[in-house]
Amino acid sequence: MRMLFLAVLFLSCIAILPEHVFSQTKTITGKVTDNKGGPIVGASITVNQSALGTATDADGKFRLTVPPGAGLIISSAGYKSKTIKVGDLLEFMDVKLDEDVAHLDEVIVTGLATSVKRRNLANAVATISSNELDGVAPAQTFDAALEGKIPGAYINANDGAPGGGISVKLRGVTSVYGNTQPLYVVDGVFVDNTATSAGLNVVTNALANGLPTSNAAGGTQDNPSSRIADIRPEDIESIEILKGASAAAIYGSRAAAGVIIITTKKGKEGRTKISVSQDLGEIRVRKLLGVRQFNAERAASLSSDSATGVLLSQEFLAAQAKGQIYDYEKEVFGNTGFARNTVLSVSGGNSKTGFYFSAAQKDEGGIVKNTGYRNSSLRLNVDHHITDNIKIGITTNYINSSADRGLTGNDNTGVSLGIALSSTPSFAQLHDSAGIYPNNPFAASNPLQTIALMTNNESVNRFITGLSFDATLQKSIKSTTKLIGRGGIDFYDLETNAIFPSILQFEAINKGTTVQGFTSNLNTNYILSLVNTLTPTDKFSMTTSAGLTQETGDYNNVLDVATQVISGQTNINQAGALNGTQLRTKFQNQGIFAQEEANLNDVLMLTGGVRFDRSSNNGEVAKYYVYPKGGISLNLTRWDLIKGDVFDNLKLRAAYGQANNVPAYGSKFTEFSISNIAGNPGLLVNPQEGQPDIKPERQTEFETGVDFSVLKGRLGFELTYYQKDIFDFLMQSNPPSSSGFSSAWANAGNLRNRGVELGMNAGVVETRTVVWNTTVSFWLNRSLVTELTIPSVPQGSFGYVLGSFQIQQGQSATQILGLNGAGGVSKLGDAEPTFQMSTYNEVTFFNKLSLRFLIHWKQGGQNINLTNLENDFGGTSADYDQVTNKLGVPNGVYRIMQVGTDAHEFVQTASYLRLREIGLYYSFTNLPVDYIKAVRIGLSLNNYVTITKYKSYDPEVSNFGSGFSSGVDVDPYPASKRADFHITFDF
Amino acid sequence: MKKSVYLYLLSIGAILVFNSCAKDYGDLNDATVQSFISNASASELNNLVSGTESGLRTNLSLYLDDIGIIGREMYHFSNSEPRYVTDLLGGGGATLSNSNFYITNPWASRYTVVKNCNILIQAATNSTQITAAQRSGYIGFAQTIKAYQLLMNLNLSDSNGIRINVNDPNNLGPIVTNVTALAAISSLLDSGLSSFNNADIVFTLAGFGNFSNAQGLAQFNRALAARLDVYQQNWSAALTDLGQSFFSLTGDFNLGVFDVFGTGLGDQLNTFFIPQNQTGEIRVAHPSFAEDIEPGDDRINKATLRIAVASLDGLSSDRDVWVYTSSTAPVPIIRNEELILLYAEANIQNNDLSDGVNAINIIRTGHNLAAYSGAMTQSALITEMLNQKRYSLYCEGHRWLDLRRYNLLSSLPIDRPGDQVWTEFPLPVSEQQ
Repeated sequence: MRMLFLAVLFLSCIAILPEHVFSQTKTITGKVTDNKGGPIVGASITVNQSALGTATDADGKFRLTVPPGAGLIISSAGYKSKTIKVGDLLEFMDVKLDEDVAHLDEVIVTGLATSVKRRNLANAVATISSNELDGVAPAQTFDAALEGKIPGAYINANDGAPGGGISVKLRGVTSVYGNTQPLYVVDGVFVDNTATSAGLNVVTNALANGLPTSNAAGGTQDNPSSRIADIRPEDIESIEILKGASAAAIYGSRAAAGVIIITTKKGKEGRTKISVSQDLGEIRVRKLLGVRQFNAERAASLSSDSATGVLLSQEFLAAQAKGQIYDYEKEVFGNTGFARNTVLSVSGGNSKTGFYFSAAQKDEGGIVKNTGYRNSSLRLNVDHHITDNIKIGITTNYINSSADRGLTGNDNTGVSLGIALSSTPSFAQLHDSAGIYPNNPFAASNPLQTIALMTNNESVNRFITGLSFDATLQKSIKSTTKLIGRGGIDFYDLETNAIFPSILQFEAINKGTTVQGFTSNLNTNYILSLVNTLTPTDKFSMTTSAGLTQETGDYNNVLDVATQVISGQTNINQAGALNGTQLRTKFQNQGIFAQEEANLNDVLMLTGGVRFDRSSNNGEVAKYYVYPKGGISLNLTRWDLIKGDVFDNLKLRAAYGQANNVPAYGSKFTEFSISNIAGNPGLLVNPQEGQPDIKPERQTEFETGVDFSVLKGRLGFELTYYQKDIFDFLMQSNPPSSSGFSSAWANAGNLRNRGVELGMNAGVVETRTVVWNTTVSFWLNRSLVTELTIPSVPQGSFGYVLGSFQIQQGQSATQILGLNGAGGVSKLGDAEPTFQMSTYNEVTFFNKLSLRFLIHWKQGGQNINLTNLENDFGGTSADYDQVTNKLGVPNGVYRIMQVGTDAHEFVQTASYLRLREIGLYYSFTNLPVDYIKAVRIGLSLNNYVTITKYKSYDPEVSNFGSGFSSGVDVDPYPASKRADFHITFDF
Repeated sequence: MKKSVYLYLLSIGAILVFNSCAKDYGDLNDATVQSFISNASASELNNLVSGTESGLRTNLSLYLDDIGIIGREMYHFSNSEPRYVTDLLGGGGATLSNSNFYITNPWASRYTVVKNCNILIQAATNSTQITAAQRSGYIGFAQTIKAYQLLMNLNLSDSNGIRINVNDPNNLGPIVTNVTALAAISSLLDSGLSSFNNADIVFTLAGFGNFSNAQGLAQFNRALAARLDVYQQNWSAALTDLGQSFFSLTGDFNLGVFDVFGTGLGDQLNTFFIPQNQTGEIRVAHPSFAEDIEPGDDRINKATLRIAVASLDGLSSDRDVWVYTSSTAPVPIIRNEELILLYAEANIQNNDLSDGVNAINIIRTGHNLAAYSGAMTQSALITEMLNQKRYSLYCEGHRWLDLRRYNLLSSLPIDRPGDQVWTEFPLPVSEQQ
C-alpha cells in the first residue's frame, strides 16, 4: 500500500513540473585562488537559485555554462563563500576567497531536509572535515578516527584489538541501560552500529554460567567491534555532530544520544579526476607492563607448599643455567604488524550527472600474531538531474571486512592471553618443538599455543545504499516548494568464527570447541518531506518543512556452539555435541514532523519544530509521543548594533529540544528460556522481568552560547553551555532475587548532564610562506542523578571489593563506589573526566609542505584497573617485589592484602595527554609529465606519544564494551600505535 | 492554488496511510509467561516440569563450592577468580560480601526455580485441558521442588533467613528466620505429599529413575522431609519419614534422586568436574581430607593424588577432588547413603545407640572399614556419625551444614593466619532493601 502511495506521489511530482526554456546561455571560465594566490582545488561553483554547478580542478580552474539572468556562488570548505551578481559576470573570472577560520559560511544540516549557515546556527554543531578525519595520521577504522576530534564527546576505545570497538558518548551519559551511542547517518541512511558477540563466553566463562552471548550488566565481555567501523574514512567528505536533543530532535526516536551525520564525496562537473593513494605502515604495542624479575627465592615463593617451592626454585635455576628465561609478555604482545592501504578514486561529471567511485583495500597485522584487520570497499555515488527540477542521488557502498581479534579480556577459565600470562613466570617453558606446545603448568592455557592455534574472526559483507530525490514542485520569485525524499537500506551479513582446536591445553574437557555465529541485519529508513521557502523580501525568508519518517530494523543472530570437535575439523557438524541459540529483534519507528525556520536578514534566525514519534518497542505501540524543539540566534554584528572593528562577527544563540530513546526490543515481555534436560524440552522463567507498559526515555536539552570572531575573522570563539535532562531513563532494576527475577526493566528516574564547551579557531600565522591555523577545544560535563525510583545497587563491574558503578540519587551517574578501608563503602572515583582539551593544528609552508597534528588531553576520570591485580595474584607483576607502600611489604603482597578491605588501589585516575596524530605531507604540483597533476607524499604517526600515570596498558579501555560501564580494565588487548608512509598520485 | 490543495490532500492521505500501520511484532524469540498461565496444555505443563528439573542444576557447582570451601573440604584455585581463596576463606581480612557472585548467583538460581514452580502451580490450576489427578501431580511436584530449593538457600543464609511467600514479585512476603523457615518448608513438603496421594503423573523426569511415578515422588518427598526433620531435631518424625521414603539399610548407597547432565541441545554440563592434574582452574581436596581419613577407607578415592602439588595464595594441596569424574557425572539430590546416616543420627539422638551403631557400621563396612570400636556414648557416636558423613557425602554439600548444627565450626582447620570459618552468608544486597 505504501509503495503504491509513493509511486503516485512521484508521478504527481513529474506531472506538475513547470516547463522550462533556456536561451542565451553564457560559458564562463575562471580560476579560484586563496588570498595568497594559491589555487583552491575542488571549490564549488553553483548557479544561483539552481542546481547547476561545477568544481575547480587541480589548478583551481573551472568552466561552467550559466543560464541568462543568473549569478554565481563560489564556495569551498574552509573559505568564506562569495556571491557574484549577474552584472558582474565576466567571460573569465578570477575569484579570490578569504579563509574562513571561524567556519561561519559552513553549511550545517539543521532539519531532515534543510540547512543553514553556521553564522545563523542556534546550536554548537561540531564538524570534522575530510582532512581532519583522515588527512593527518589515519587510524585503522572510522570510529578510531573520531578520537579527540569532537568537543563535548567522551570517546573511549574498548581495547586495541584489530577492527575497532569504540564508545562515543556525546555530552555525558544519556542513558543507563538504554542506548548510549549516537545514531550514525551516512548520506541519509541510518546505519547500524550493533556490536554482535562472537559467543566467546563459551570458553572464557567471563560471565559465570552465562549464555554464550551473555551480557553482563551494561555490556558483553566478548569485546566485539562496533559495526560503524566498516565505513571507509577515505570516502567521507565531512561529518557533522549533533550532540543532543536541541539539535538532533528532528531525528526523533534514535536521536537522544546525538546524531553523527556523515556525508560522502560526490562528483562535480568538470574534468574526470583519478587519484591513487598507497599507505604503508607498521603497528606496534604502545606500552608493555614489564614482567617480574625472578630469582630462586622468588620462584620458590610462588608456592606455599615448601616441597613445591623447592622444585620451583630448581626449575628456575635450571632455566637460568640454560638461558631459558623469557619475557612472555613481549612474545605475546610484542609483534609488529605490517599495514597497507590502497585507495583508488575516480570522480567527475557533466552538467547533468556527477559521479564518485572508489575502490579501496587495507590489510593490517596486529601486535599479537595471527590477529589483524582487512577491509575492502567499493563505492559509487551518482547524482543526476533528470530535469532542471528533479535531481536524484544514489549512493552505494559494498564493504567486506574481516577482523581477527585474538582472545583477550576478562575470563574465568584462565584462557585469555592476559589472564594466562598473569600467572606464567619467566622461567616457564612454553615454546613449541615442531609445532607441539607443552602444557603450561602455571596456568590453564599456554598463550603461545593459544595464539598459534585458535581463531576469533569477525567477517562482514555489507551493502549500504541510499537514494535521494529533490523535486521542485513549484517555483516563483518569492516561493519555492520542494519535495525531498531520502532513504536507504543498510544490510549486512556477519559471520563470527571462534575455533578452539582440541589440542589446545584448555580444551581438555570440551575436546575442541567451535562457535560459529551467523547474523543478518537489515535496516531501512526513509524521510519524505515537503519544504517551502518563502522570500517575501530579500531581507526575510521562511522555510517550512513537514514530513514523515520511518525506520525499521530486522536483526537475526544464530549462534552454534559445537564441542568435542573432530581434530582438524571446524564445521559444526564435525562434533560430538552441538548447541544453538537464535536471537531476533525487529522494530519499526515512525515519526511525523513539522519545522519552521525564519531568517530576518541573517540577523535573527528563529526555528521551531515538533515531532510525533511511536515505536514498536514501546509498551503502547500505537501511541505517539510528542517532542518539540526551538531555537533562536541573533547576529549582533549583522544587526549593526555593534559597530567598529573589534568584532567581525558576534552571535548570541539558544536552543531547546526533546528527543527520545526507545526501549530495547523485548523489554515488554517476561519470557521463558529453553532449559532442557536429558532430551526433555524444558522452559525456565527468564530472570529478566518484562515491563508491559515500558515507555521511551525522554531527553530535553537546552543549550545557549555566544560565538564571536575578531581580527577580521582570524580569531574565532565559540562558547556553549548546555543542560540535558533525561526523564524516565531506562534501567534494569535489581528486584529482590527471591522474586525469581534478577533484573526488571524500568523507567527508573531522571538524570541531568550539564557542561561547557569552549572552542577557539585562530589563523596564528598568515604570511606568503607560512600559514598556521589552529583549533583549540575545551569541554567538560557533570552528571547528576536527580531522581531514582528503584533501590540503588552496585552494577556493571565486580562489586564493592574491586570497585563498582552505582546509580544513586543526588550523585554523579558515573560514580565508582568501593570498600574504603574503614569497614564501609564510599565513593572512590568517577568515570567522568574532569575536563578534556584538544588542539588541531595545520602549518603550511610555501603551500607545499604541510604539518598537521592533533593533541588530546583528558584530565581526571577513574578506571577500575584490575589488570595489575591479576598479575599480583599470579605473582608476575613487574613491581611485585618493590616496597613502596605503608606496610613495608612487597607491593604485590600489599595489593592482594587490599582485596576485601580497601578498593582504593583498583580505582585509578586515567588522565592522559596524547599526541593522537601527527603527519607531514608534501605536494608536488609542477610535474614533468602533464598527465600527473599532483603527487603528495607524507609520513604520519598515530597515537605515538602518551603521557599518563595510569598503571596498565592504556587509560582507554572497557572490558564491558561500549555500554554504560566503561573504563573497567581486565587484561585487554593492549593498545597499539602506528607509523605510516603515504603517497598519492592525482591524474 | 489548485496545486496547494492537491499537496494538502496528498499530505493528509500520506498521514492516514502511515497512521494505520503501527506494528507490534510480539516476542520473536521465546514463549512468554502470560501465554502459559491462561490455559496451558499438558505438553506445555510438561515443558515447565522439565525446565524446573533442569533449573535445579544452574549454579549448583557454585553451591557445592560455597559449602565445600567454607567447610574445609576443598579449595577452588582459579587464576582469574581470587574470591574463592580470599572471601570464602576469610583470607587477608576479606569478608563475605552481600553483592558477590558466591551468594547472589546460587540464591537467584534457586529462586528462579521457585518462580518456575509457582508458575507451574498457577498454570496447572488454570488449565482446563488436564484431569484433576494430573493437576495434583503437577502441583505435588512443584511444591516438593519448591521446598527443596528454599532449603538450599536457607542452608546458605541460615539465621539471616529466606522469603517463603514469593508469588507476587511486586508484593513479596517477609524474610523469616531459620526456625520459622524450616517449619514452613516442612509444611510445604507435607502439602506436596498429600498432592501425590491421588496424583496421576503424566510428565517425564530425567534424574528420578524409579521415583518418577506418584509413589516414587512421594518417597522422594519423604526423604527430603527426613533431612528437614533432622535439621529441626524432630528425631522421631525423622524416623517416621524415613520409613515412608526409599531409605533402606540393605539397599544400594547410591539409590536416590540425582541432578543429571548431558550434552544435548539446551542441556547443561556438570561444571564442578575438572579433569585430574589440571593447572590454573582446579578443585583440590583440603589437606585434612587425606590426613584425617582412616587407613583402608575406600573413600580416599574421592580425592586422587596429583602429579604436582597445586598451590595458590598460601594454600596448597596434592589431591584433586574426584567425586564427579566426568562432565556428565550426576550430582545427588538425596540418596540412600545420606538416609542411612540420617537414620543413625536420629537413633543416636533418641538414645537408640545400637540402631545407630548398626547404621554406622553399614556405612563403615560398605567402605572397606572395620566395624565401629569406639566408645558407646551418645557424644562419641555423634562424632563418629559426623565423621562418616564427612567422607560419605564428601563434596555433596553437607559438612559445613552438619558442623554448624552441632556448633563445631570452630573445630575446622585454619590454614592461614587471619582466615575465618564463616557461619552463614549475608542475604544478597537486593533482598535487604
